Amino acid sequence: MTPGVIFCLLALTWLMGLTPSERVVSRITGLTFTACLLALLPLLSALAADGGPPVVVTFGNWFSVHDYRFPLVLMADRLSLPFLTMTLVLSGLIGQFSATYLHRESGFFRFFALLHLFSFGSLLAFAAGSFDLLIGGWELVGITSVLLIAFFDQRPAPVENGLRVFAVYRSCDIGLLVAVFAMHNWTGHASFAGAMPKLAGAQATAVCLFLLLAAAGKAAQIPFSGWLPRAMEGPTPSSAIFYGAISIHAGAYLLLRIQPLLAESWMASICVIAIGAATAVYGTIAGRASADAKTSLAFASLTQVGVVFVEIGFGLRWVAVAHILGHALVRTLQFLRAPSMLHDYHRMHSAIGGEISPTGRHLEDLIPERMRLWLYRWALDRGHLDTILDRWFIYPLLQLSRLFSRLDNIGRFARAERQAEPPVSMRRPAGQGVE
Amino acid sequence: VAGTAWIPGAPILDGIAIGVPWLAAALLTVSHRHARIVGLMASLVSVAAGALLLLASPPDESLYQALMLLFCCLTAGATLVLPKRDCESRAIGGILFLLGATLLAYSSGDLIVFLAGWILSTVPFLVESWFRARSWRPAMSLWLSNLALAGAIGLIYETGHAFSIDALRGRSPGGTVAFGLLVLAVIFRKGISPAHAWVADAAETGPSIPTALLLNGHLGALLVAKLILPLFPRTAGNLFPLLSWLAMATAIYVAVRALTENSPRRLLAFLTLSQSACILAGLESRTSEGITGALVHWFVVTVSTTGLFGILRLLEVRFGETLTASGYLGLAGHAPRLAVFFAVFGLALVGLPGTLSFCSQDLLIHGTLLSHPVTGVMLPIATAMNAVTIFRLFARLFLGRRRTGFTHMADALPRERWTLAAGVLFVVLGGLFPNLIVAQRSAEADRVEAAANPAAPAP
Repeated sequence: MTPGVIFCLLALTWLMGLTPSERVVSRITGLTFTACLLALLPLLSALAADGGPPVVVTFGNWFSVHDYRFPLVLMADRLSLPFLTMTLVLSGLIGQFSATYLHRESGFFRFFALLHLFSFGSLLAFAAGSFDLLIGGWELVGITSVLLIAFFDQRPAPVENGLRVFAVYRSCDIGLLVAVFAMHNWTGHASFAGAMPKLAGAQATAVCLFLLLAAAGKAAQIPFSGWLPRAMEGPTPSSAIFYGAISIHAGAYLLLRIQPLLAESWMASICVIAIGAATAVYGTIAGRASADAKTSLAFASLTQVGVVFVEIGFGLRWVAVAHILGHALVRTLQFLRAPSMLHDYHRMHSAIGGEISPTGRHLEDLIPERMRLWLYRWALDRGHLDTILDRWFIYPLLQLSRLFSRLDNIGRFARAERQAEPPVSMRRPAGQGVE
Repeated sequence: VAGTAWIPGAPILDGIAIGVPWLAAALLTVSHRHARIVGLMASLVSVAAGALLLLASPPDESLYQALMLLFCCLTAGATLVLPKRDCESRAIGGILFLLGATLLAYSSGDLIVFLAGWILSTVPFLVESWFRARSWRPAMSLWLSNLALAGAIGLIYETGHAFSIDALRGRSPGGTVAFGLLVLAVIFRKGISPAHAWVADAAETGPSIPTALLLNGHLGALLVAKLILPLFPRTAGNLFPLLSWLAMATAIYVAVRALTENSPRRLLAFLTLSQSACILAGLESRTSEGITGALVHWFVVTVSTTGLFGILRLLEVRFGETLTASGYLGLAGHAPRLAVFFAVFGLALVGLPGTLSFCSQDLLIHGTLLSHPVTGVMLPIATAMNAVTIFRLFARLFLGRRRTGFTHMADALPRERWTLAAGVLFVVLGGLFPNLIVAQRSAEADRVEAAANPAAPAP
């Protein structure tokens, strides 16, 4: 809760016309995450020592209508604890890094406020004991992610890309909403604090596929991978924590959470493996044609998350968790070093006395030259994923919208042309400022 | 209710809540001075009367009292936020007249009184010197809705021989024809497709804040909850899903339509329409969850969209009446607090966690999916598209390179800031502690559900 409370306090302070100094904000951030981490230690030691039962804390129902309840249940088990720890450690580190990196940046305060909101959302999603509550954290992670992509709002590109990412997130979240409804409808609850909702056969497959839609959207898996390079418009620290570490792995966490359900449905498991494998291949090919450091790292993340999906599909739960933790930490470091990547390379080249040979060249040589050229074009256009999405989904939707617009405008101005006098609120010329 | 014996009777309080705004409106036709103060005082008296009414009513019979209080607060907020440019005695008088008429409709237990409230609430939007829009469609739709309701009530009296809603409960007076006319009245008043275009026209070519108040009276939804479901439970059971389908189709249609719209006023009108249609779908779901969600969403849509229209109007008086979402205007640099208020109201409208709409959307989706799985799926789709639209509008208005060429532009003035902050607090605190609102709406939803399903056992 603490990051959420800090976010509220920061927002209220700002609304009252006060903006704390950079030093105060960074100190508060450091203290918050240190305190949260210390609070987590007893839980960690208790669960790590004897692998005891999950710790479940129930705060009653957030709201209820007869049999339908929205339970406020938090849970710490051997799956959620690594994610909670990772979130707190990396949020604290990113806070410290950003205090220097974003020094005197006009959006310094906004960045830190959003960092707290993001941490709160992530902690809520990972500590939730029910899918209902998980949605809350999940949505908060999404909205903060979008607001940070549009952080440099003076340029149109980050804002446009933020909008694109928001559209993908919201579209895929429909899967989560429908899946949770289906669980409520079929089993009477969507809580996993005691045991997962008991589903089998077609019901388990349907729920898993809806959740896979949500997970694939959040983890930028195929066919939604196009948003990840666009998300690199945000400041480097937010790219590191979102797309190198926490947000990108939230989808994998969701799949790990529903592992018992996945085990009931071979079809859903195959879909998870297929999507993960396709994304891994796509990520590694597209990444090889990326010209900038952050985009290369984004594709590298995509590849690893694809492999994590494959591991989850095969039921290798703890391999996937270990993979996620290792990958998140290494990738965060790489993202944070991305602005000084050239300098790092020069130092390495000096140390080894020459250039480092690029990895995978021997694999490239196995492919015929024409195929290589085709793959290069395919990689440059990022697998045509955005093109396909634009051409087959977004463009027809916009065309439909324009058609509706034409229909609505039939006869729209008939009376307006006859009437000269505007209504009460529009009788002064425009743009004369506040009166 | 225990401990409320000191509160005057409901007729007296109703009379004060309705009469004082009308008296003030009449006063403003004679004296044009201090219009804002007169408007604020009159609406605050209504707020006090509405609060007392709510206090004195039993928890499961407080829907209309709660709605009255909400609308009174909304009007008080509107008179505060109204820019000085718009704050003429005629405009304030029109708003107060609308307040009185809407409260009359809310408080009525009689068909004739309800009809009077319904028609009177449209009068300011039919009269040239008040809020009549430049487009012909709003006036036409409001006229048609008035005629349809008058026809339906005439037919109901002809066969039911009573005007009292309690006396007519469950009797399906007037049969399918009266039911059809009532549904037509809802369609024209709420802007359900294919009669939706007038809402955007009214928002664009009429005054924005009074139009927001007209739309947020939600008299169409009130007609459903107050008349259609209790009077026609069997007919509603057979034919009402058609209205639900139309409502969801409207939600989707206008959500798609808004994707390419660049007029901020029209965009907001489409968002209001889409979310209002969800209220209707929830009411029609005839499940406790759906109806409770609809009633809670009623509150959210009312506060959020009025806030959004208010902020847009404040931007217009600062930066020009011809704001467009076709490019990035970068207004956040000049008005950061208005930008934050806009973002919160906008996201609160589309289900941001931590706001009241997260709960209402959750209940709405659950309820509508439970009763109509196919049409129910449209609701989250419409909400997702609305979320994209509101983010696009926010981005286009507030983000981008800071505009130059202005002299200093004030951010939210104190009276605007605190009024908008109160609205934000309502949606945020309501979201953090939703049970305070949901539990009460749930009790009321049971009554609506019981009226709609007379054969079903009480929950």
